[in-house]
Amino acid sequence: MRDNHITEMLDSKPFASLSETELATIRTHVAGCASCSQAYDAAQISALLIKERADEAVENSLNANPFFQTRVMAAWRERQEQSVSALRRLWNATGALVTTMAATTAALAVLTFVAPSSDTTSQTTAALVPYSAESVVLDQNDNDQVTDDQVLSAIYSDDDEGR
Amino acid sequence: MEGWLTRIATNTCLNLIRTASRRPELVTAELSEDETEWLERKVTEGSSGHQHNVEDRVVAADLAERLLEGLSPEDRLALTMIDGEQASVSDVAEMTGWSESKVKVRAFRARKKAREALEKLLGRKSQ
Repeated sequence: MRDNHITEMLDSKPFASLSETELATIRTHVAGCASCSQAYDAAQISALLIKERADEAVENSLNANPFFQTRVMAAWRERQEQSVSALRRLWNATGALVTTMAATTAALAVLTFVAPSSDTTSQTTAALVPYSAESVVLDQNDNDQVTDDQVLSAIYSDDDEGR
Repeated sequence: MEGWLTRIATNTCLNLIRTASRRPELVTAELSEDETEWLERKVTEGSSGHQHNVEDRVVAADLAERLLEGLSPEDRLALTMIDGEQASVSDVAEMTGWSESKVKVRAFRARKKAREALEKLLGRKSQ
């Protein structure tokens, strides 16, 4: 009963938020259960201690130094400057290396993307020239072809001249 | 903007507590005479009511601080805000960036741990 009823009720919400019904149930149970009685006392004291601490924190914040905000902001700015100077130190240490690497990467990019494109332009111009090897061999003009009669006459004219 | 700053401040504080905390167990032997007397009085008198005596308040605050030291920073935050400052679960969830169920679980666990630590103290004291 103790482990799964009263203690669970005590821990489920702030002690001050327990309703009258819940408190009555707890008190009834506690009257006949020594271990729950101790848990109830402990929960009450725990709630009181936490409340006291919170009240004191509020009072301390009310009595806080009026320059508290200024000091916090100054500390914050100082931290920011420290982080900026840390970045600067990092840049000083690695700046040359990073610059060299960036330049190398840029050069490689130029060689990769710009140089091959100049090759393709030369190919394009070659394709535009009408007298390629293929065109000379394959695209011979029909006008250049000799007829069978011409061939025969050329062959036999030599024979005729010999006779 | 305010919520964002609050969340950053909360997380920064949690990290600071996390790195600084040792989480020692609160034991009777470590209690001062005033603290033991305060506890005994509270058990016999009952714990209702605000501490009007300045000395009592100092003792209570010190004891509370030591009690909270035994909790994890997250549990401590949930317990302090919900039980101490009467913040709602949704307020704590918004401030920390946790889900509401996580806040509830943290608060439940913290209450249980704090109660059990005090129970131990009261049990040892009565032995």
